Amino acid sequence: MESQANAYQPQKAVIEKIIPETEGIKTFVLRPENPFSFHCGQFAELTVPRVGEGPFAPSSPCFEPERLEFTIQNAGYMTSRLHRMKEGDVLGVRGPYGNGFPLQDFYGKEVLLLIGGVGFPPARALLYSLLREKTRFKKIVMCYGARTPGDIVYKYQIEKFRNEIELHLSVDRADASWNQTEGVVTVLLDKIEINLKEAVAVVIGPPIMMKYGTLKLLNKGFNPKAVYLSMERKMYCGIGQCRHCMIDSYFICKDGPVFRFDQFKNLPDTWE
Amino acid sequence: MTEKYQIGKEQWKVLLKEWLGRYTLLAPQKEHRGLGYQKLTPDNDDSAVLVLARAAQPLKAFLLPPLEEVAGETAGTSKPYLFLGVKACDLQALPILDRAFGGDFPDSLYQNRRAESLIVSSDCTEPWETCFCELVGGQPYPSRGFDLNLSEIEESLVLEVGSDRGKELLKGHAESLKEADKKTEQALDKKRKETVRKVKQLNSKFKISKSQRELVAPQWDSEVWSKHAETCVECGACNHACPTCHCYFLDDVTRRAFVKLRGWDACMYSGYAVTAGGHSPRARLHQRFRNRYFCKFKYLDDNYGQIGCTGCGRCIEGCQGLIDMRAAIKDLD
Repeated sequence: MESQANAYQPQKAVIEKIIPETEGIKTFVLRPENPFSFHCGQFAELTVPRVGEGPFAPSSPCFEPERLEFTIQNAGYMTSRLHRMKEGDVLGVRGPYGNGFPLQDFYGKEVLLLIGGVGFPPARALLYSLLREKTRFKKIVMCYGARTPGDIVYKYQIEKFRNEIELHLSVDRADASWNQTEGVVTVLLDKIEINLKEAVAVVIGPPIMMKYGTLKLLNKGFNPKAVYLSMERKMYCGIGQCRHCMIDSYFICKDGPVFRFDQFKNLPDTWE
Repeated sequence: MTEKYQIGKEQWKVLLKEWLGRYTLLAPQKEHRGLGYQKLTPDNDDSAVLVLARAAQPLKAFLLPPLEEVAGETAGTSKPYLFLGVKACDLQALPILDRAFGGDFPDSLYQNRRAESLIVSSDCTEPWETCFCELVGGQPYPSRGFDLNLSEIEESLVLEVGSDRGKELLKGHAESLKEADKKTEQALDKKRKETVRKVKQLNSKFKISKSQRELVAPQWDSEVWSKHAETCVECGACNHACPTCHCYFLDDVTRRAFVKLRGWDACMYSGYAVTAGGHSPRARLHQRFRNRYFCKFKYLDDNYGQIGCTGCGRCIEGCQGLIDMRAAIKDLD
């Protein structure tokens, strides 16, 4: 009778290591029972046993399916319970779901990543993929903004990335230690040079940042077809059934989470 | 040409008795104010009401139970049903569920239950006050999606065969089946037209100039949403009673690790789309109210090629705020 694999059944994954990133953000290094192959930009549903499930995009390279990293902010019920878990504990993981980034469409272009807060984890998976075939892209520029210097994730990798790509950082509120840009991440867009004719932009971050980031890109002259958004919504199933993630007729989980802005252009509730 | 047979009421009982031994028979039975699906047993096989109009529950109540285990040890058990007296509006909802739970990640629980169950539908004869199939392009008698359909013509019943499995149900009863004659066909046609007339009459003041989709889709900013949402108490009855609504939540809050439950959710609930951190894309009631109409008449149509309303009227019947979908749509016109 059970001819089909059960779509809701997660496989088990051991927490191999927990890396504290900031006060409220941790990176969980997982070893799934079976290799978890995915494209960067796709996501997984993580289960905290007896608690619940949530959608998260791996922040590790998609070419390393035996070892997954998820960088997760303590933001709600499920994530607060996740943050209490220890190395050696077991989570559930199912997926991957969604479409991922269309890297071929970026070939031969300047790639601008406009990233806010915990948008960095999925962006890091993308970055690993971009760097793997770096010569295919004219230029890789990343603008990353966090609330405060203390909220910046992957601090231990920032310098390494800075050697590989053009990286600009900003914080909403600086402190004495901060000698880079202060202001919301969109101010960084005024500091960069990009050839609009052959550039694509990828926007990942909290809803408000995605809205103003996208509007600013369009304002600067980006073609809506060259702006890629990694959207977020409440998701239970991840497989286009439960309908919680819908924006208009789009299933964010199945038709996305990566969309070209021209797909959303005429919808009334993209940013709600 | 469809196969139609006439059968006497006594022979019908023989058929029922036989089916009782093989299936879980669910049939509309009289409840305090209407009809409700209940199990038919050898002791109450007289109590099935095959006429009148649809029962209180939509078929999703059985094919997609309100709460069930979808991952874990016991996930995957299901029991074959034979649904009796299903009305056209409820048959019309099934293609949406079939598509929603099919696709790239088919839901084996739903699919198995659906594939195993049989549907013996029947014509409506007395539509409820809230019935409006005719306004959404439907009709009060089934024309597809059944294994057998049953119509009552005076002292006999007409059985229309809708599928091979339906034909199978009649196997071994050839001598009690008589092909429907012209006179019966005419009587059936007349009776159906009479019910259509009744539904039309019930809805004469809700007639609209365009399709619901054409009325809803361009009116995102209409005042109608706030106006009609005014008496909504956000109970979610419209969602839960709807034969096509199928939003669900998944939950792991059980005593056993890695057991996952699925339960009906409702987009009218304020917490429905709230993400970690508390953000909701539809924080205000009129936004959730509007979303329901957009989902029914635009989104489901885009997703599955069919609007999500079958005119069953359960959302009207179940509403504590006396909200009438027909009136809201009429207001958009």
